[in-house]
Amino acid sequence: MSARREVIPPSDAASRSGQPASMAVRGGDFLFVSGLTAIDLQSGQRMPGTTASETRQILTNLRQLLEAAGSSLDKVVKVNVLLHSMLEAPNMNDVYVRFFPDPPPARTVCGARLPDGVKVIIECTALA
Amino acid sequence: MNEKLSRSAIQPKNPLLNASRVGNLPHVPGIRVGDYIFLSGMVPVDPQTGERSHVPIAEQVRITLSNMRHMLESAGSSLERVVRVHVVLADISHMAEMDRVYREFFPIDPPARTAWSMQLRFGNGCEIECVALAG
Repeated sequence: MSARREVIPPSDAASRSGQPASMAVRGGDFLFVSGLTAIDLQSGQRMPGTTASETRQILTNLRQLLEAAGSSLDKVVKVNVLLHSMLEAPNMNDVYVRFFPDPPPARTVCGARLPDGVKVIIECTALA
Repeated sequence: MNEKLSRSAIQPKNPLLNASRVGNLPHVPGIRVGDYIFLSGMVPVDPQTGERSHVPIAEQVRITLSNMRHMLESAGSSLERVVRVHVVLADISHMAEMDRVYREFFPIDPPARTAWSMQLRFGNGCEIECVALAG
């Protein structure tokens, strides 16, 4: 039997974000979460700020998104963090450590060029 | 239960799209394991010639995603079964143009996605990888 694919939240919410991506997709035993940027989850408005404030906003949204999908931060298995500058990694980390339980998930951090002037993008794979 | 998962390599039906074999690179086009298919990063290769196709970015994205569809369908899956996509562009200013073409391939219930820009090899304008559910 083939594994089931389910978009979370429903596609109308995803399309309202203007991105051609679902915020999260459940496939089989895993939940795949899109690269999140700092936005207000209600209005979809961008919340540009410092690396620390964007990280805090993203992880707050991530927690809410995971819990709405029946998962949680302590079920995250892998995180990818993209930063506009690796010099900002400590500022991201200071916030990051407050969100994840011990032991935290596996993680990779990269410096890259990010769209729309965002400073941080965080994506993850979690147990559904 | 607890049956050990095994992994098998995925090959495109069109051998010209087996970029890793054509280029003698140390990876396979994709791996199937359990419920999942993991594809290698795919680049714009002309399915008629097997050559890299450095046309304008919209066309590079279209070729790459067409090849991704071929790769998934060769493995009994499809674009509709994709759960996660990574899009890497050589030039961040091509993001809107990439999005425009991307929407044609994932019109409803699109996969989770992350898109960014960094240096790519061989002068490619884009590289796209995905995780899909097996057929």
